[in-house]
This record gives sequence, structure tokens and C-alpha cells, in this order.
Amino acid sequence: MTAGLSLEALLAHPDSGGLTLVTGTTRAWDTAAVEVNEQDLPELVTQALAVLVTPAPTASWQVDALLRRVRDRGFTGIALTGDPIGDGSRALAQRLGIVVLHVDHPTRLAQACWQLLEARNALTLATVRKVARSIEYQALDLGDLLRHVAANVGHGVALIDRDGVLQAAGQPIPTSILERVNFDHWLDVAESDAGFAASVPVESRTRHGLRIALYGRDAGVAHRNALATAAEVLMPMVAARLLVDEVESVSDVSRSSGLLGDFLESQGALDAEIEQRMLTRGWRTNGHHLGLRMVARGRVDPLELLRLVTSRLALLPVDSHATTRGAGITGWLTFAHAPTPGVLAERVRDLHDLHSSVLSTFPIATGVGSLSPGAQGLATTLGEARDAARLAADRARAGWFVPIDSLGLEQLLLSWTSSDTFAPAAQSLLAPLSGTERETLATYLDQESSIVATAQQLGIHRNTVSARMQRIQTLLRADLTDPQTRLALQLACRVVR
Amino acid sequence: MPQTLHEADLPAIARGFALLGSGGGGSPHVTELILRRSAKWPVTVYGVEEIDPSTPCIAVAYVGSTLLLEERLPDLEPFTPAIDAIERWLGQTSSAVCTLEGAGMNGLAALQLAAHRTVVDADCMGRALPDLDQISLLVDGLPGLVAATPTGAGGVALIHNARPEDVERVLRTATTCNGGWAGFALGGFRAGDLTDHAILGGLRRANTLGLALGEASQSSLRELAAKLDGELLGAGRVVDTRAELGAAEEVHSFELRTIEGDVLRLVARSEFIALQRNGVVVASSPTIIVALDAITRVALEVDEVGEGKDVILLALAAPTWWVSNPRRLERVRPSRWGIAGLEETG
Repeated sequence: MTAGLSLEALLAHPDSGGLTLVTGTTRAWDTAAVEVNEQDLPELVTQALAVLVTPAPTASWQVDALLRRVRDRGFTGIALTGDPIGDGSRALAQRLGIVVLHVDHPTRLAQACWQLLEARNALTLATVRKVARSIEYQALDLGDLLRHVAANVGHGVALIDRDGVLQAAGQPIPTSILERVNFDHWLDVAESDAGFAASVPVESRTRHGLRIALYGRDAGVAHRNALATAAEVLMPMVAARLLVDEVESVSDVSRSSGLLGDFLESQGALDAEIEQRMLTRGWRTNGHHLGLRMVARGRVDPLELLRLVTSRLALLPVDSHATTRGAGITGWLTFAHAPTPGVLAERVRDLHDLHSSVLSTFPIATGVGSLSPGAQGLATTLGEARDAARLAADRARAGWFVPIDSLGLEQLLLSWTSSDTFAPAAQSLLAPLSGTERETLATYLDQESSIVATAQQLGIHRNTVSARMQRIQTLLRADLTDPQTRLALQLACRVVR
Repeated sequence: MPQTLHEADLPAIARGFALLGSGGGGSPHVTELILRRSAKWPVTVYGVEEIDPSTPCIAVAYVGSTLLLEERLPDLEPFTPAIDAIERWLGQTSSAVCTLEGAGMNGLAALQLAAHRTVVDADCMGRALPDLDQISLLVDGLPGLVAATPTGAGGVALIHNARPEDVERVLRTATTCNGGWAGFALGGFRAGDLTDHAILGGLRRANTLGLALGEASQSSLRELAAKLDGELLGAGRVVDTRAELGAAEEVHSFELRTIEGDVLRLVARSEFIALQRNGVVVASSPTIIVALDAITRVALEVDEVGEGKDVILLALAAPTWWVSNPRRLERVRPSRWGIAGLEETG
């Protein structure tokens, strides 16, 4: 074995017993001699590190003499425990060309030396065992699992894809290394001046091109092997955790979706059980709410959509919730106090931006309700959002986005009736009527079905009006005593006019 | 042949004793000043072999804190109470005198008694050492030794035939009672005992060293070391001083960096005990480690070395008396103070 034990490797070892460099620079050793006392060290060595378990002497000349004798035996490095050595001894060490290290726990350093020199597999085994030990702790999610691993192994760990780090724990992996990760290999060891990262691909049903990476400072062979193996062992744990997280999130979404259904069915009249469930989920009914409804205009996986929307909603500086409902998702923002119009307008803009960014991935239409307070208000604004979304689905010109708070009720009706599907229907409904008849019908409906008022309005005789109305009913085959029919015809008149 | 010392010789001898102090022993300058006033010049100094071996002899020294001594200066007869007590105890006068510690301020102490006693060129340490149980006569366990120290306000403590450690313990306490320093005297031996149980020729060595140092003010470091018959340990700047709390009591170290980048560590108690270069001990007690100010080339005491000072470090050979015998050597090595890891290895 040649120069298997480098100073850098020792300093980077996760458990070298509190090793610090006192004086000296880059050095590598072939062997390490660990003894309780100096006199037990071998008489003549080359390229060796001495590790003494007994604390260094306190008198300055004794330290000097110790360094000198150890150097004269051929050692080029010595690890001492006990009180730190003085400046003079440090200067002497430099003059003698011997690296001096200070260590709090010499026996642990001895073990580290042994692992690095004699038992590389032992280092690997120890590292893998630490990975395995991480399973003992219950992890809430992937982030938690990575934190356990990072803490146990003593190396930074990260889930990465080609764009960068998705989730990480422990020492962050320097960008210089991340840039060199090869995503085509099974096991890849990327290196730079800042250290190295060993990574393997992680299979996931929903996301592709993921790798789990372990980061180490020193690129010594023993360390690289240990971390590479550890990454391979870690991979199935991470993959399983990803799957569990997905299943958990699906079941969580279905629960929250069910709860939202229950709430909407109650129409804002909360019973204690629903309220309790909403509170558990963190859905507060007090405060002011702004509803949001996003419906699919094509084939969309509501869960995927929800995942994307939730991640974007989390960036807004306001409390937000969302869940799936039918072929889309329903969500809302909750303000503890009524926001100023300016703030509200800004949030609606945020939602519009969110809509636009989601639109690039999914074919959707979005409706936003108006700001309403309390539980009742939440039901109301969600209802408005639902209606607005329905409108938006037909409004390509509006970019598939309709916020309701910008419309009055009349405008809502108008915008609804002038929508892309209603306008042609209105045209065909009124097609049998002449222009005069249409005007008469519109005035008649506007004047609350009064013949007299209509006649006055149009400046004609009431018998004329009466006759025209008879004819119109015949032409349309419509019964004008039915309020539904009246409403439909009135709307049709507005659209066609 | 006896040496005749003139007043003009004093500066060189004082310089020499400062070197032999190894950073301790106090400044010879104080005793030099006393001698200029008290002694009758010239003074004759005899070698051990030049006087009758049966001559009763006494050894004297200032013990305690040299810093306090410079605060509370001695009078002209600081050794009289101790010597009187010893002579009364022994029932005989001691007509010969030598110094207890042939280094630092004590190197010249015996000359203060030259008016009434024969001065012998010998001493019981051969360099500066901090403890009374490092007196050569005590180390060799000569029987019948009497040591005395004034305890202040006319009191005198006298200890007879005691173990070396007890002399240190008891008379150290007495010295403290006397106010931090005292004129110590040791009697109960004869001039002939000094031949085997003392370090000979200290004054002569100090004089030679002092003259050599005076001549070497401009020499290169190597020439300087050669003239002093020593070894150049290194030269550098003090970058750090630290109390070595974990090692043993009262030990501190100076960290020096040489121009070549060597790391020198000078370890000291009240004297310089050892020098380490790049983790290797290159000199340690009883070898005499001298720190000279790099600019003035004056020997520095331990407390004169500090951060930012440029220092030349030399090793002078230890007195052979100490190194010739392992039992003696044990008394003066760093391990004697419980300091580990400073025995010479390279």
C-alpha cells in the first residue's frame, strides 16, 4: 500500500476523534503507529504517522524533545492529545518538517487510520451500516429521511436532477461538483476541487432523471468507495420513500377533497364535525376568503395539477389551501383581516400569473371568486369561483381566466350570455322574429310584461302591441307566462341586440 | 606560588565569577564595591598545597536572596556572627578562609576576610548552585562540620554534624529569619580536606575567564567561545518566556530563535539549568551555561533575560569534581529538582 493515508483524508474522516491540524501541510503516510507512550513507537520507520494516546508533556522542552525524537525515528507526522503545544514547539516542528496534529480522542483517530489504511471495506461497511441505521428512525417524509441519513453518515446528501438540487440535507454539495454529475451512468463519481459526489439514479413513477448523491470532501480511494457503496444502498430507501410520499399525498388529497365536498354541500352552515375536520386540516373559516377554481379543458390528472398549483400557491404571501374537486381543483386564499383593495388586486394578479404559468403545462381555465368573510363567505366565494371558471372555459379571448370581483352582476350575466356558446343559441332562438318584433319583445320583457307600458315606450297603440305579442308567441312557440322562458328570451334579446 | 591580587585585578575577576554564576549567584559587582573599601591591597591568595594541611579553615558565603541583598546592603563584617559562633563551638580559631561558592558575588566573599586570615583559592561548588546541601564538603559527608547563620537581632543558628538536607532546611529557615539573606559560615574542617573535597583554583579560573572575556569584546562568536575555553551553544533573540508550571517548582524557560531558524529553549531556576536546541538537550547542569548580552557581552543573570533580548549562549565545562563521581553528579543534575527530560543526550 503506498501513501494510503493522506492528511486530507484524515481531516475529512467523519470520526477522527476531533482531529485538528496544528502545523504542517499536505502529507501522506504509508503507516500509522499507535502507541500509549512515545518509547513504545517503532525504532525506525519511513513515511509514518505516530499517534500517542498519553497526553503530551506540559513542559515546553519535553514537547520539543518528543518532537525531535519522533522525527529522528523517521516519523513525518505526529498526533498529540492533551494541552496544545506552544509557538516554539510549532516552530520547531516546521523546522524539523514534521506535521503536528492535535486530537481529542486518540483511539478514535487510531480507528480512522486503520479504516483508511488497512480496512477500506471496513470503512465502507461502517458507512453502509450508518445508512442502514437511518431506517431505525421514523421519517415523516423524504426530507426527514435525508436528514437522518446526513446526520448518521456525516456526509451531505441530496436528491438531484439535471436542473439542480430538489431536496438536500447536511453539508450542501458545491455547484462545481453538481455540474459534473453524469446522468447517464448508473454509478457516477463527480469530482472537483471542492470534493466529490457519488450518485446513483432513483426510480420514481412520477418524476424522471432523479439521482441520490452523497458528498465527501476528500477524494481518497477509501472514501470514494465507501460513499459510492453507501449511495447504492441508499437508493432503494429513497425510491421507496418517494413512492410512500406519493401514495400518502394521493390519499391525503382524496380526504381533503371529500371534506371540501361536505363543506360545500352544507352551504356554509357548518356543523361541529365538519368544522373540527377543517380545523385539523388548517382550514380556517374565519377571516376573509378568495375562492379559486381551476377546471380542465382536456385530459388533466387532477393530482398532478394540484401538486403544481400547491407548490406555486405556497409562494404567495398569504394563507392558501387547495384540493381536487371533480375534473379540476378548488382552492382559496384566506386573509386574517380584510385586505386593502390594492393588496387584493395584487393577489388576484398573482393568481393570474399562477394561472398563466400552469397553462403552459396543463389545458385549464381558471375562475376567481370575490372576497367574502366567514364560513358562509367561503362557500359563496367558492361558488362564484366555480361559476367564473365555467365562464372562463369558454373565454379563449380572456386567456381562460375570469376573476369575478371585476364584474358586476349584470356584467356577469352579460358576460355569461355573450359567451361563445350562448350567443349562437340566442341568435337561433330569435331567428323567426323580424327586427320590429324583436324590439317589441325586448321592450315588453323589460317593461315587466306590461302591454300599456310597452305601447307607451314604443309610441304605438296597445292593441298593436297585444297583436304583435300574440304573433311572437306563436312564432317562437313559447309560453311567456313561464318565468324561465321569459328570462331566457330576455337574455337572448340582450345578446342579439 | 601564591597569587598576589591587586585592586586593578578586581574587574576581570568579577567578570569571571559572573560567567561561572551560570545566570545565578548574584552580581560580583556588590562584593567588588565592598572590597574596594575594606580590603588592604594587595591581597595574597594561597593554593591549597601551599599552606599547612592541618590549618583549621572556614568557608563563607552570602546565602539567600541576592536581590534582597542589593536592597539591604551588608555591613563590612557580615560573616562575623556566624564565624564567632563556630569558633566558640569548636574552641579554636580558624586561620584560613575560603569561599563556599566560587561564582557570582560569593566568588570574592573570602577576600573580605583577608586582613586576619589566610585566603585559600578553593571553594565548595565551583559554580553557582542554589542549595546548601550542594556544598561539596557536605556532599562528601565529612564528619564534624559546623554551619552557622545569623537569625537576626544578634541571634545565631548553629548546626553540627547534620545531614546535608538538614543544613539546607534549618539554615534556610534561619536565613529567612535574618531578613532574606545572611552571612553563612561553615567550619570544622582543615585546609587539607579541601584537596579532595572541594573545587580548587576558582579565583585563578575567574581571573583567566575575565581577562579572556575582556579581550574578546570584538571577536567572532567562535573565537569568543574558544578564548573562554567553552562551547558556543547558539545565539538568538528571546521570543517568549514561560513559567513551566507542569514541570517542577520555580522553573521557567526562555524560547530563542536563531537566525538560522533553530529553536533554542533555555530552562532556568535561579540559574540556567539546561539548553535545548531543536528538541535536543545540548547542555545541562552541572555544565555552566552562560548567557551573554549580544551587544555588550556582559554575562546576564536569569532575571536580566527577557523577551526581545539578543543573547549569546555558551557552555563552560562543569568542575570535574562534580562529574567525576555519579553520587556527586546526582546532586547537581536537573533531576535533583524533580525536572524530567533535561539530561544531556546529544
